[in-house]
Amino acid sequence: MNSPAPSPSTASPASAPVAMRGYPRADGRKGIRNFLLVAYLVECAHHVARMIASPYQGDGVQLIGFPGCYPSDYAQRVMEDLATHPNVGAVLLVSLGCEEFQRTRLKEAIAASGREVELLTIQSAGGTAGSVAKGRAWVEARLAALMAAPTVPLALSDLVIGTKCGGSDGLSGVTINPAVGYASDLLVDAGATVMFEETCELIGCESHMAARATTPELAAALTAAVRKADSYYTELGHGSFGGGNIKYGLSTLEEKSLGAYAKSGSRPISGVLKPGVRPPAPGLYLMDTVNDGPVRYGIPNINDTQTITEMVASGCHLILFTTGAGSVVGQALAPVIKGVSNSRVFARMEGDMDINGGTIADGIEGVADVGARIVEAVRAAAAGQPTKSEALGHQEFVLSYKTYEPLGPGCLPV
Amino acid sequence: MGEAGAANMIRLAAGDNVGIALVDIASGGTAATLDGFALTALEAIPQGHKIALLPIPQGADIVRLRMAVGIARADIPAGRLVHVHNVASRYLNNDQDHYE
Repeated sequence: MNSPAPSPSTASPASAPVAMRGYPRADGRKGIRNFLLVAYLVECAHHVARMIASPYQGDGVQLIGFPGCYPSDYAQRVMEDLATHPNVGAVLLVSLGCEEFQRTRLKEAIAASGREVELLTIQSAGGTAGSVAKGRAWVEARLAALMAAPTVPLALSDLVIGTKCGGSDGLSGVTINPAVGYASDLLVDAGATVMFEETCELIGCESHMAARATTPELAAALTAAVRKADSYYTELGHGSFGGGNIKYGLSTLEEKSLGAYAKSGSRPISGVLKPGVRPPAPGLYLMDTVNDGPVRYGIPNINDTQTITEMVASGCHLILFTTGAGSVVGQALAPVIKGVSNSRVFARMEGDMDINGGTIADGIEGVADVGARIVEAVRAAAAGQPTKSEALGHQEFVLSYKTYEPLGPGCLPV
Repeated sequence: MGEAGAANMIRLAAGDNVGIALVDIASGGTAATLDGFALTALEAIPQGHKIALLPIPQGADIVRLRMAVGIARADIPAGRLVHVHNVASRYLNNDQDHYE
């Protein structure tokens, strides 16, 4: 057993690599899945889209959508990012017909990406029954070809990986989050692209984060992203550090924030992203998921799934998700690998958990041991093995209204 | 608590001056990491709480997982509990209204 070393000193994970293969896309990216995406463009088309997709659950048909009727540049962009995501091989768009979403623009963008796409408009396709029949026929005509699509060799350096936590507990910052940070270091060293987020939970970490920035301009941008989150959440009236934290041994706000920040590991930070912006080069990135401008739509992200959606829009092939209380979520387009902070919840929910980080709290494994297991789980998922949430059919997806300004200067590596 | 021979404390990164108790450690008990670092707890260290791994002078950073998470408000001998009574935040005054 290895010692609980904090940060890996060598470039490659120890164990033998699993053979990974990916689906080549016209833009040069490679997918680790070849999903057929059914996407509704307003809530009024949700039921029809679900009816179309539901017989093929388990066959790689995934359901996403945007519920709003009013136009949103943000939602338009995210839907385009998702419909042209490397894990997607073909797209069926389901429109009611009178919503404001620019469905033709989306269809053209998907077609331009080299993917098969169909636009089904319920009002002109025979209503619910006619649309479901037409939609299922379109899906069935494509499933066999998608399953037999050619693949090419895939390396860790082809992968974009997001890290996220939800339902954390007092051990998250001691066990599974540092282990994800260790895995992040291994992945970055192997040439992968990794992103972390939760600027609202990084208050107090900004100076440490700024010191990891590759340029002074980026250091300023990282600090600004955290300050923006701080003021946004302060205006919403959300608290920061409290008696519950102290009871569990956390002495300061910055120590509480370190629990989430631990997932970012120790490597230099190469840039700041906003949802839909793809990292231009491998390395480690902070994703800023807080709205720009005044507080407008309430809480920036209403749940963990919305944040995951945004990381997937920025190109994440898969998500490393840590939990203490025991989240069960997956995601529609990106496999989710779930790690839990304690063995008690792992025993209770083993069917949902890919990784038990509780062995660190049990004193029998180190951070490095669990981190190496996480990298192996990444390799297995990228090689096509379903994660626990995938095998259980999880397809969580949330997209709602937000606003972002373009990235400022110095946010991305040149 | 834990398995025989299991660690009851973790040092999250090599340069840290605090360890984290993985289980409740009694006053006078031994706090030991998986890689063999051990010291005597000079007072009870509850699970999840910090123990000074070496003497931390007043004004020095409390370093956990490579990051300064606070400043020592007094000299803290090795083996002592490190918590709100002897740590100050750089960001919030612990005595003020950010407590729930």
